[in-house]
Amino acid sequence: MSLVARNALISLLITIVLAGTVVYTINYLNQVRIAELGRIEDQLAIDTLSLDTQFSLLEAAPCDSSASSTTLTNELTDLGDRLSYTENQLGSDNAQVIRLKEQYSLLEIRDFLITNRIAAACGTKPVTILYFYSNTGDCNECDKAGYALSYLHNTYPTLRVYSFDYNLDLGALKTFLAVMKVKGPLPAFVVNGKHLYGFSSLADLEKIFPKGALATSTAASSKP
Amino acid sequence: MDLETLSYPFLFIALFFESFILVTLLSKPARAARARMPSDETLSVAVIVPCYNEASTVAATCESLLALDYPKEKLEIILVDDGSTDATPAAMARFAGNPQVQIIRKENGGKHTALNVGIAATKADIFGCLDADSFVDPDALREIIPCFKDPRVMAATAAMSVHQPKTFIQHMQNAEYIFGITLRHTLASVNGLYVTPGPFSFYRRSVIDELGGFRHGHQTEDMEMALRIQQAGYHIENAPRARVYTKAPRTIPKLIKQRTRWTTGFLRNILGEYRCLIGNSCNSALGMVVLPTALIAVVSSILLFSVAIFTLVKNVISALEIRAGIPVSYAFLPHSTFDWFFFPSNFYILLGATVLISSVSLIAIGKRISRTPGNIILGLFSYLFLYGFVVPFWLLRATADVTFGKHRSWR
Repeated sequence: MSLVARNALISLLITIVLAGTVVYTINYLNQVRIAELGRIEDQLAIDTLSLDTQFSLLEAAPCDSSASSTTLTNELTDLGDRLSYTENQLGSDNAQVIRLKEQYSLLEIRDFLITNRIAAACGTKPVTILYFYSNTGDCNECDKAGYALSYLHNTYPTLRVYSFDYNLDLGALKTFLAVMKVKGPLPAFVVNGKHLYGFSSLADLEKIFPKGALATSTAASSKP
Repeated sequence: MDLETLSYPFLFIALFFESFILVTLLSKPARAARARMPSDETLSVAVIVPCYNEASTVAATCESLLALDYPKEKLEIILVDDGSTDATPAAMARFAGNPQVQIIRKENGGKHTALNVGIAATKADIFGCLDADSFVDPDALREIIPCFKDPRVMAATAAMSVHQPKTFIQHMQNAEYIFGITLRHTLASVNGLYVTPGPFSFYRRSVIDELGGFRHGHQTEDMEMALRIQQAGYHIENAPRARVYTKAPRTIPKLIKQRTRWTTGFLRNILGEYRCLIGNSCNSALGMVVLPTALIAVVSSILLFSVAIFTLVKNVISALEIRAGIPVSYAFLPHSTFDWFFFPSNFYILLGATVLISSVSLIAIGKRISRTPGNIILGLFSYLFLYGFVVPFWLLRATADVTFGKHRSWR
């Protein structure tokens, strides 16, 4: 075998090993991400259950627990961002992603229910947005709506945004959709019980917010 | 097919080529070339300096040749004025009394004609060419001469870098040239060179007698000559420590013009008279690895750049649409801290990073092998962040010129 042929063969093997290492590294990092998501979800599930149990144990609603619920909602938002990124990395048809999304949706529904129970018991008036999207290509405005909601959540920290994949095959979600009377077209929003279908502008979305119910991050942070 | 998927085979080929360079660099012939000592043997040598309107640099070029560590009686310098219209004749005239220097004036006919006039004016065993905007280190010739010990070797190339780089663009080219030192040194060890650059390449007299003088070669007479030597079955060597410094274009438009000429010459020569060299197993390094990779590089760069521009424009439009109606303070300012979780780690980025790391390694190796002085940090920085965005412009222009038969002036 000539020197060139030998070197080409060795180089080919090196290239395959390097490419294989890259594939392995990506796979490893994705598994670490999945594990991280699983860990966060487990912790959130325990926290949610704890709050729920605490609520059930006490006759009078533990109104001071609303702070805990808010913390959970923020963590849910962070988890949602991570899950969305992982979905982009691995694809929406990835089995692990689907499983995590199902768990995430359950956590969101539970948090929404607890928030409503606390609101009813303690007389608070949280602003909640249920956002239903689709990533199967049938929702042209979903990206725009998602970004607008990120902006709203960033601007109004007390706002509770719950995002759901409309097409997720999960019994609890289907029941939730039926209970909330959400049909279509997408994107669909339910803001404190008011429905809005489609998304054209941020202003349209803000119109259905309860007046004076939101505080900006500046105003919120200036409180003692 | 998206940009990422499209790029995979090309990134794989780039990585394969860089691996081939690294493996060949460690092979015995390359190691032997690096171990080669400067020669005490002194053949009769002529250095031809073809000039066309090089008044500002030709004197310094000639001075650097006169400062070569080589017996004066064996070194002849031939300054050929190819019908300059500036003060080049006056700049040459100051060397008129030097017995080593011969000055020839002729009607303008192109670089290849100037070289041929210079060749006809000497009987030296070995002759070389030095562009009139280039300068050599004193020991450069003694590094070149041992390359001709092997009777199969008909030409030898030097180690080029940029003369006193000042602009960001020149630093970028300096890194690229030093990368070229590694490539040239490595590929010469398996006889894979297809160009004998204007700055300080040398030829055996006999090869000119046998194959004829320089030709127009689609404005790349150095490449045409190298390809002709390869086609005839001879070898082209490289002296990695024969340092030569050349002036590089200061601006991007000038760089694109120069490289368009080089690339056009490459395409016209390779796809024309020397097409038979592609895939030629008689010279497997050149025919099976170097030329196919060079052609793939042209095609892939244009393709990937076009797709990248398309994707970029599409993403920008999409991002603007998504952000429409959102306050600028949120939409266009970063509002998150670094989190490893969101660190992009896809195949395209990691494989691309591997290719870039290999390139940086090859540049560092080139600097070390050639012992080229100067700091390369700015060069590496500009090479990594700018080179890939500039290259497609001259590749596109050259490909369009070849496709539509357009011919441009040298300058």
